[in-house]
Amino acid sequence: MYGSLIDALPAVLSLGNFAAVVIGVIAGICIGALPGLSATMAVSVLIPFTFGMDPLIALGMMAGIYNGAMYGGSIPAVLLRIPGTPAAVATSFDGYPMAQQGKGGYALQVSVVSSAIGGIASAIVLMLLAPPLAKVTLLFGPSEVFWVAVFGLSAIVFLLGGDVLKGLMSACFGVFVSLIGLDTISGFDRYTFGHLELLDGINIVVLLVGLYALPPAIALLEEVIDVDTSTAGKLNTVSIWKAIPSMLRFWKTWLRSAVIGVFVGILPGAGGSMGAFLSYNEARRASHNPDNWGKGEPEGVAASETSNNADTASALIPALTLGIPGTAVAAVMLGGLLIHGLQPGPMLFRDNPDIVFGFMWQFLFAAILLIILGGALATNSFAQVLRLPRPLLGAFIITLVLVGVYSINGRMFDVYLMLGFGLIGYFMDKLKFPLPPVVLGLILGSLAEQNLRLALRIGGGEWGVLTASTTSQVIIAMILLVVLMPLISRVLRRNKPQPSTS
Amino acid sequence: MNAKLTSLAAALCLASVTSTQALADYPEKKIDLIVGYAAGGGTDVMARTVAPFLEEYLGNDATVVVKNMPGASGQIGVTAVAQADPDGYTIGTYNLPGMMARTLDRDADYSADSFSYLANVVNDPNVIVTPKGSDIDTMDELVDAAQERDGAVTVSMSSLGGDDHFFLIRLSEATDAEYTIVPFSGSAPARSALMGGHVTMGIINLSEVVNFRDEFNVLGIATEERSDLLKGVPTFSEQGYDLINGSLRGFIAPAGLPEDVESSLITAFEKTYEDPEFQEAMLKSGNPVNLTTGEGFEALNAEQLELAERVWNTSPWK
Repeated sequence: MYGSLIDALPAVLSLGNFAAVVIGVIAGICIGALPGLSATMAVSVLIPFTFGMDPLIALGMMAGIYNGAMYGGSIPAVLLRIPGTPAAVATSFDGYPMAQQGKGGYALQVSVVSSAIGGIASAIVLMLLAPPLAKVTLLFGPSEVFWVAVFGLSAIVFLLGGDVLKGLMSACFGVFVSLIGLDTISGFDRYTFGHLELLDGINIVVLLVGLYALPPAIALLEEVIDVDTSTAGKLNTVSIWKAIPSMLRFWKTWLRSAVIGVFVGILPGAGGSMGAFLSYNEARRASHNPDNWGKGEPEGVAASETSNNADTASALIPALTLGIPGTAVAAVMLGGLLIHGLQPGPMLFRDNPDIVFGFMWQFLFAAILLIILGGALATNSFAQVLRLPRPLLGAFIITLVLVGVYSINGRMFDVYLMLGFGLIGYFMDKLKFPLPPVVLGLILGSLAEQNLRLALRIGGGEWGVLTASTTSQVIIAMILLVVLMPLISRVLRRNKPQPSTS
Repeated sequence: MNAKLTSLAAALCLASVTSTQALADYPEKKIDLIVGYAAGGGTDVMARTVAPFLEEYLGNDATVVVKNMPGASGQIGVTAVAQADPDGYTIGTYNLPGMMARTLDRDADYSADSFSYLANVVNDPNVIVTPKGSDIDTMDELVDAAQERDGAVTVSMSSLGGDDHFFLIRLSEATDAEYTIVPFSGSAPARSALMGGHVTMGIINLSEVVNFRDEFNVLGIATEERSDLLKGVPTFSEQGYDLINGSLRGFIAPAGLPEDVESSLITAFEKTYEDPEFQEAMLKSGNPVNLTTGEGFEALNAEQLELAERVWNTSPWK
């Protein structure tokens, strides 16, 4: 197997194939950076064009776009508090405060280096460990996936913000939105009011853009008096090569987040947003100064960005070996493979080693190219966006968002839906309701619900089925640990001074 | 309903009047091929594989443009085709039994009479599989396990009201046993639950098992004769169960297509089907091909609708 890995290298390094990766990365960064355009969408738009292309060129562009977009999403998240992609929500927690403190350039550099590290780790895991990790995927049936979703939902506790009641209301709103659509288990429609467009549920990009991009864009328009924009475009950056040494202290976060990202990637149905939330939380729990988090802690940016890139290649592990996509983008990529007559499954590695292993190399190169293309070129040029007069910037974002949402399925219905969410988001913003719980609720609410019901069906209604497997038990133990740890440590801290005083 | 019929009839008349003079040399502009699923899915790949051959065999420098209109498991796309002008410049993909089942379990703005049936191209039969490590690897063992206790056998499926679901209901009748349905959303998660041994058995399609031959025990195939794609797997009829079922994919146009247009489209599909390059491309993308055109396809559709109605009346799935 490792022999074929080396054999596939020369073809990948040929001019056309390499150029495809470079173009993909640049295009991906731009797409990710534009609110309303996501990697899933970019890859699905690309697919019809690849029909006549050489498979490696097509796949190289996809690998580049995927990696590029995962970083690109952090650019507006840091500069404007508008996540460019769903996976960049957690990046905005600390990235935007950093930008407000005039450290936006450094935040973007941390982001690009972390993204690249996550991507490289993921590609290496894909190259070396694909077959054994595919077996891990199979351990996760409905009851195990249910517990993973619960684990993710427990993160809501940390995202509630100052007002617990408002935070919980936000989370419930997210869960409610996740329930809209056809219930695949009973076959009944929920809250669709007869609209076919709602049967498949609400696309996360529609909700995200409505809640996250519209209110800040409107806020930009509300400020009639032009503030001094001449300094905003300066990010006070040093060259990326000089900045890297100061980031090396994040190595623990990089490692932890890469592992979380890879793991979330190989799970069916979870995806990059969940990985970013989880690793943000874990990094904060491990930190010495958790109180600084959310106020501009560069490590938070590192955690989120490492992890949302670490699930790129790993999501392809179950996709290539089992035909089960780990993320929405991987699902679309599977379609891209199918178009070229490449059917996922164990046979794929035997019949088309050049293409499969070439594809893996392309993921690795795309991740490495991120540092050069993203760090050197994109970061500074995108920062110039901040120099635009604010009303112009607001109008520009609104236009982009309308076009982006329309192009998901090519229908106006989604645009109206997004405007509705925009209205909700505008009032949530004014009334200080936190937005992250909505996103997490949407991603995980129906995942938990559907899998719980599937598991109970398999168990014939016995709740014992949920704790029957070792995998379930391990995850439950992890949930208890995470939820109880703060309590235990508080008790310990209270007990510690006592022996010294007595 | 009555108003709908009259307007349909009026549309038919109008179409037949306008078409005779306009369509002397069809096609004279681009043809939209509407796919009810996102780019990259099985139906989309079929459409994109067929398109260039169709262009070639329609002649007249024809252009066929694939348009994806995803949503509501194909219903949005097929509704758009039903409501398009029957001039031969809008055709679409069609899935059975799904499209007919939707007329029963949802409010559909189309019916079996809304279409001109051009060609069914893919017939992907159902197979019963169990995980490789399972004790059950013959039909007899499966039936024994299922009859022992109602609902003891859990079955993973890709959705409710699809070909796999109909197959299960027929299986339940043929074997006189109750099975527990575990409907996943899509065939990939259904198959992975099966590979991981989280369910007892699965009903999937031939195309989904070909590349995973070593991971499953295949208990039988729901065809009249054994398939070349799965050598050594017996049919259910051989084993004493009269079960023939599968997922069908083809092409339709709005009802009331001018006759000459309909026949040139059908001829183009027939020539496409005979092209060895097309056969090879379909095989590569894992689609078992089987051509039925025109009236044969319409009869097939009626048969599928009847089956769906029977199932819906005896054991509705929602």
